[in-house]
Amino acid sequence: MRHLKFIARTIFVQNNDVDAACRTLNRILGREDILDQFRRTRFFEKPHQFRRRINFEKCKAIYNEDMDRKIQFVLRKNRADPFPGSF
Amino acid sequence: MLRNSLCSLLKNISITEKCAQSNVKTLFTSAANLRDVTDRREMLRSMPAADEGTAGEKAVDVDSLINQNFNVFPDVNTPNRLFNGVPFKDIPIFNIRVSPNNTILCLTTAKGIPQLIRSCGIEGFKNTRKGTNIAAQATAISIGTKALEKGFKSVRVTVRGLGPGRMSAIKGLQMSGLEIISITDTTRVSWNPPRPRKQRKL
Repeated sequence: MRHLKFIARTIFVQNNDVDAACRTLNRILGREDILDQFRRTRFFEKPHQFRRRINFEKCKAIYNEDMDRKIQFVLRKNRADPFPGSF
Repeated sequence: MLRNSLCSLLKNISITEKCAQSNVKTLFTSAANLRDVTDRREMLRSMPAADEGTAGEKAVDVDSLINQNFNVFPDVNTPNRLFNGVPFKDIPIFNIRVSPNNTILCLTTAKGIPQLIRSCGIEGFKNTRKGTNIAAQATAISIGTKALEKGFKSVRVTVRGLGPGRMSAIKGLQMSGLEIISITDTTRVSWNPPRPRKQRKL
């Protein structure tokens, strides 16, 4: 039931706008890592490539997390002191 | 090889010219300096990425749209939802099989009995021309008109695989006058597949 055909990975076309529906579907597939996994399994990924990719992804995730936190900090609202560091 | 022979030829020319008259500028070419790609890998990297029919994969503006429209996605009642008086589960299916080198379209009934089949190769495109978006669109238009003649008006579409024909085949079906109700992705993806073939040498 979880992955029934025409239930999973399906999108309805609205107002005959096939292009938009395709783009949304592609976006979801890209976000869920399905397309990347498909591309990755066309050819055998050697252990050193696998290691390199995993390490790169780890570093990227750490960087993104830090950067998100920084951006959230800069954009935060309702501060007790609206201009910290200035007199 | 060619360059060496050219150089030797140029040398010969300059020598002969020097013999004939002094103070003559020797010939030289700047072709080697003008060439910006030196090896094959670099050339492949500088080429534009191949069209895989996955437009919008990296787009960000779609995300808000996804959150807003819940009715574009199926739910539990979808199989019985009526489209032009026909329940969703009884609508004929257009299966599109896309690969980098070809596009195959197959129309089946809701039960899965094949009615029409057509590929870019059958359409008359041969060799590398099969794997283009133009070929896919032309094939889709021709099979779409045939399907209309047979009496299929609205279809649901499944696409499998990545390739240039992925989006253009769906667009071609729509251009032929068929009403496309839904688009499904049936690409076979596994997270623990059997060992694939070895990588291509570039």
